Amino acid sequence: MTSPLIGQLIEALRCLPGVGPKSAQRMAYHLLERDHAGARQLAEALEAAVEQVGHCQRCRTLSEQALCAVCASEKRDRGLLCVVESPIDVQAILQGTDYAGMFFVLMGHLSPLDGIGPEAIGLDQLATLLDSGEIREVILATNPTVEGEATAHYIAEMVKRRAIPVSRIAHGVPMGGELEYVNSSTLAQALAGRQPIG
Amino acid sequence: MSAARSSIHAASLEEAFVLHSRPYRDTSLLLEVFSRDQGRLGLVARGARRGRKRLAEQLQPFAPLLLSWRGQGELLTLTGAEPAGPALLPTTGGLFSGFYLNELLIRLLHRGDPHPHLFDVYRQTLALLGQGTDEEAVLRRFERLLLQEIGYGLQLEREAGSGAPVAPGRLYDYLPEQGPVPAGEGESRGVRVHGQTLLALARDGELDAEGRREAKRLMRAALAVHLGDRPLQSRELYRRQRLL
Repeated sequence: MTSPLIGQLIEALRCLPGVGPKSAQRMAYHLLERDHAGARQLAEALEAAVEQVGHCQRCRTLSEQALCAVCASEKRDRGLLCVVESPIDVQAILQGTDYAGMFFVLMGHLSPLDGIGPEAIGLDQLATLLDSGEIREVILATNPTVEGEATAHYIAEMVKRRAIPVSRIAHGVPMGGELEYVNSSTLAQALAGRQPIG
Repeated sequence: MSAARSSIHAASLEEAFVLHSRPYRDTSLLLEVFSRDQGRLGLVARGARRGRKRLAEQLQPFAPLLLSWRGQGELLTLTGAEPAGPALLPTTGGLFSGFYLNELLIRLLHRGDPHPHLFDVYRQTLALLGQGTDEEAVLRRFERLLLQEIGYGLQLEREAGSGAPVAPGRLYDYLPEQGPVPAGEGESRGVRVHGQTLLALARDGELDAEGRREAKRLMRAALAVHLGDRPLQSRELYRRQRLL
């Protein structure tokens, strides 16, 4: 039998992805038995983040400031806008590429069968941003899923109507991969989108 | 037969399409599937969103698949998936119409009722949309065949009641669930359509702009009877896109 407080902690830890009852129990006992300071730090960090982190006014990513670090930066190209589905995608692009423009984070994708329409992913806000005249080019980096493609298609229409150049990130064979293991849709896309060797 | 419904289901590499999927727990997917021989089914794809060879990449809508499953009751377990060809709808267009087809199938087919003919029609419809064939005509044809398949086929070539053949030049009031009656004076009691629109719908013929509008209104009214009050989300999105 666990005491009510320990039971509560175990239950609370289970909200984390990939954490089942067994690992939640291990985490709870580890924190209480061996790492009191770490536990306190975790509690404080969690509380502060949950209290203060909201959405950036401009790009909608998670941020405790009105403008996130990317949007507030003076060094980035403000005319270039990359549209992604989630804050994790922003991190992936920042860490993995030398992209120097701005972002817009949809916090999801269009999914008509789930009732997720344009407002739910902030497309009215994106329209306002596109109308501001600041944006010179838009790059669509939604996921290469059916819903991600539909979302890209929908936004592309919005952008084209404002006579702003718009492109979709390329689809193809992952670097370091083997053709044999690439799924057929990706392979078809990769062949269709082949590039001349200069 | 309700006894058969609760018995053990199993299938090995059966032709199927994913109609819809959503994340389930940390690594799994809940799939709504349309299979050729067992109709619409709910499947759980355990662990589909993790691992090196991610199953989720294959389990996309609009791509022909061979699926295996097993289980009991409403929700079965996916045990295998193989692609059976490239996606029929290219990413550049037709996706919104594709969502519409999928939503219709989810709303109008009962789980576990086989519709092999409709499955073939669905596959053919996706292929036509993918090739950029006249979208409206393709959708009208699918709607007509879907209604027919679920037992509510439209009477298009003969008048309701009298059974007299529909005349191309004549104006009719189409009464959903009954059929066309010659249009009377004043307000239409159903959907007002020309005879030639009804005949073109019945025979997959060409329609002019007015005929297309009539056909669309007619199909919408005919489907509404079976869809109930809840609006179709994909139709709303389609409409919004056209208004951009």
